[in-house]
Amino acid sequence: MDALTGLGVLEYVWLAPLIPLLCFVIAGFFGNRTPQGGGYIAIFGALAAFVVALLASYEYVMSDAYSAGEAFVRDLEWLVFGDYALNFGVYIDSLSCIMMLFASFISLLIFIYSVGYMDGEGKKKRRYYAEVSLFLTGMLGLVVSSNYLQMFIFWEIMGLCSYLLIGFWGFDHPEGDEATENAASAAKKAFLVTRLGDVCLLAGLFILLHMFGTLDYEGMFMQAKIDAVVAANPVKFPVAMALVFGGAIGKSAQFPLHDWLPDAMAGPTTVSALIHAATMVKGGVFLVARSFPLFVQSADVMLFVAIIGGVTAVFTATMALNNMNIKRVLAYSTLSQLGYMVLSLGAGGYLVAMGMETGNAELIGLGVLGYSAGVFHMVNHAFFKALLFLGSGSVIHSTGTEDMRLMGGLGKKMKITSITMLLGSLSIAGFPFFSGFWSKDLVLETALAPASHGLGAEHWFTLLFALGMITAFMTAFYMFRMWFLTFAGKPRERAVLSHGESPKSMTMPLVILSIFAVGSGLAIFANFLCHAAQSLEVGMRWIMDAGRVGINEHVYDGIAVVKHMFGNVWTYVAIALTLVGMAIAHAVYAKRKFEPEAFRIENKGRLYKLVANRYYAPEIYNQISWKLGAGVAKAVDLTDRKVVDGAVNGIANAIIGAGDAVSMSQTGYVRNYAGVVVLGVVVLAVVFVLAFALTGGI
Amino acid sequence: MIPIELVLGFSAALFAVGLYGILTTRRGLVALMCVEIMLNAANINLVAFSAYSGDALGQAFAIFTIAIAAAEVAVGIALMLNAYKTKGTTDIDELTSMRW
Repeated sequence: MDALTGLGVLEYVWLAPLIPLLCFVIAGFFGNRTPQGGGYIAIFGALAAFVVALLASYEYVMSDAYSAGEAFVRDLEWLVFGDYALNFGVYIDSLSCIMMLFASFISLLIFIYSVGYMDGEGKKKRRYYAEVSLFLTGMLGLVVSSNYLQMFIFWEIMGLCSYLLIGFWGFDHPEGDEATENAASAAKKAFLVTRLGDVCLLAGLFILLHMFGTLDYEGMFMQAKIDAVVAANPVKFPVAMALVFGGAIGKSAQFPLHDWLPDAMAGPTTVSALIHAATMVKGGVFLVARSFPLFVQSADVMLFVAIIGGVTAVFTATMALNNMNIKRVLAYSTLSQLGYMVLSLGAGGYLVAMGMETGNAELIGLGVLGYSAGVFHMVNHAFFKALLFLGSGSVIHSTGTEDMRLMGGLGKKMKITSITMLLGSLSIAGFPFFSGFWSKDLVLETALAPASHGLGAEHWFTLLFALGMITAFMTAFYMFRMWFLTFAGKPRERAVLSHGESPKSMTMPLVILSIFAVGSGLAIFANFLCHAAQSLEVGMRWIMDAGRVGINEHVYDGIAVVKHMFGNVWTYVAIALTLVGMAIAHAVYAKRKFEPEAFRIENKGRLYKLVANRYYAPEIYNQISWKLGAGVAKAVDLTDRKVVDGAVNGIANAIIGAGDAVSMSQTGYVRNYAGVVVLGVVVLAVVFVLAFALTGGI
Repeated sequence: MIPIELVLGFSAALFAVGLYGILTTRRGLVALMCVEIMLNAANINLVAFSAYSGDALGQAFAIFTIAIAAAEVAVGIALMLNAYKTKGTTDIDELTSMRW
């Protein structure tokens, strides 16, 4: 190869997670001795990680391995026990590169933004910058890991950082409404709810280790091995994959473990943007994408994945419709968009599975397109949602409240924020030619494909497609409701007090992100879908080979995909729904043609209450944890105290009692002792004499 | 030569005297003396068997025993002296502070 590809950075790609780790240590110990409490150290770490990721990705894409569909793998042996060997290393394919690039780039922008946003936090800044650096280590480590166990370690590091950063303000949240008052309990909830998923994931990994004998991606994603394992474990394998998906449900906040994410908004807005919108919550989607070669072996699991995704998308979007907290609206929309990604991967995987079953190459091609669409939406969403969160942070910074009822009319005071947020809203709503439009449309198309190809489960996929369409409409409505409430109309209480546009360190990342939010969708013309599918080329080449004809038609040419998209009537229906949603939001919240209060009936409408109370999901969580969790805990406590402690204390008491009884023989009278000695001698003598007499001498 | 049975009988009698004394007396010094008597009974046995078997080793053993008995008496009397100093008595039934 030529000189440029011989950079040699790829060999050192482990530096990408390692540099932020060093920054974590340095900022953690010496942050307060540097300006901005270690902020510049964290920015340096993210910048260095981004540069490493960029150079390594470039080198990999230019290498022969990339075009040959091989991953770049380097492993160190870590633990060997019995027949199992666990490694520690890097596994680079196109999915790792994509994740690495957008995670480090968005982190860099958010860290720069933090310098402005967290300026007033004083000594706490050291903790903040140390923790976000550690988080970046977790995210980058997750995507470059070479096996499931290593991935799980970084997965947990991210969970820990999420917990620490949600609870950053502890018990005194500066702008808390009644729900975010207690950041500490929100952090605890996030930690415990995701832990439920993590336990499932760990159980799934144990079963996988048992079945495959290894957890290395390279060792697992092999045709002979997968076929043998699937044939030998017709029940265990789908169960293991469902458990692995359980981890994704927790991390990516899918129904029914979705409820921690809205509460997680109690953390600083930068944390919401970084962890709870752009990167960590993508971890679950990444897990499904990474395990795609395993998932597609079971059509049932893929159908389950798609249903969870579709249900989450529509279910959480409804909660964004009437929420008045600007960050909560964005949190619900994050949930909804994550549902889209999971739906896309699930439907795509279902298509691949059915294509393998029926030997239909076109279905495999469509399924791979669904996979690419999911990854595409993940990247686009990272940009526009990070932008929207940072924009909302800018508004909160300026007005000092998260309640949209107190805002309004900020468009004049905060020009850059309002325009960039408008671009982000257009993008997420799927306005034509903005980035969200391309990927969302592909997702919907994938969801419809199993139904229109007359596979099993048509009614499910028809339903999921309809839910996706409704979600698209609701997305457009609630995003513009948020935008009009915040930036249009007359200034209300807190908007009047707003001190205008935020500092440059905050607006600069907004502008950069808005460029990506508008333009990242154009990557489809740069064969993004083909690059994303390269990861499958690495992981399931034999399936890809079987579907080569279909893939050529559907994925390998962005122009063809776009042409196909505009030849599809549903694309225009989706656009129309988006425009209608925007128009309704405009009529209600900007022109006030309808009074939104009219639908609300003094906050007492049953439906309104149901949605405002988040379908009573927090209540259900509480009931389950009180009734079931506390019951189990009490039983365990009782067993511990009565059975385990009882046995230990009983034995100890028996020994003490026996000791007391025997010690009574120590009378202290010398003559007693002498008597006992004499008695002993006499007994011995008698025994010996009898023994001699009976055995007849020595 | 004196038959060995007589010598052994004498030593057994001497041992029994010592044993009886130790089991009945309450006076510390007397108990010590009784221990000495029992030791000397053992010495007689050692000397007697040595003489009858023609091996001098037993007599050498007896000498050692006497030396050790002397040391033991020295320690025992020192104990009694200190017991008398602290407790004001050498009555071994009174000296029971080491029981349970």
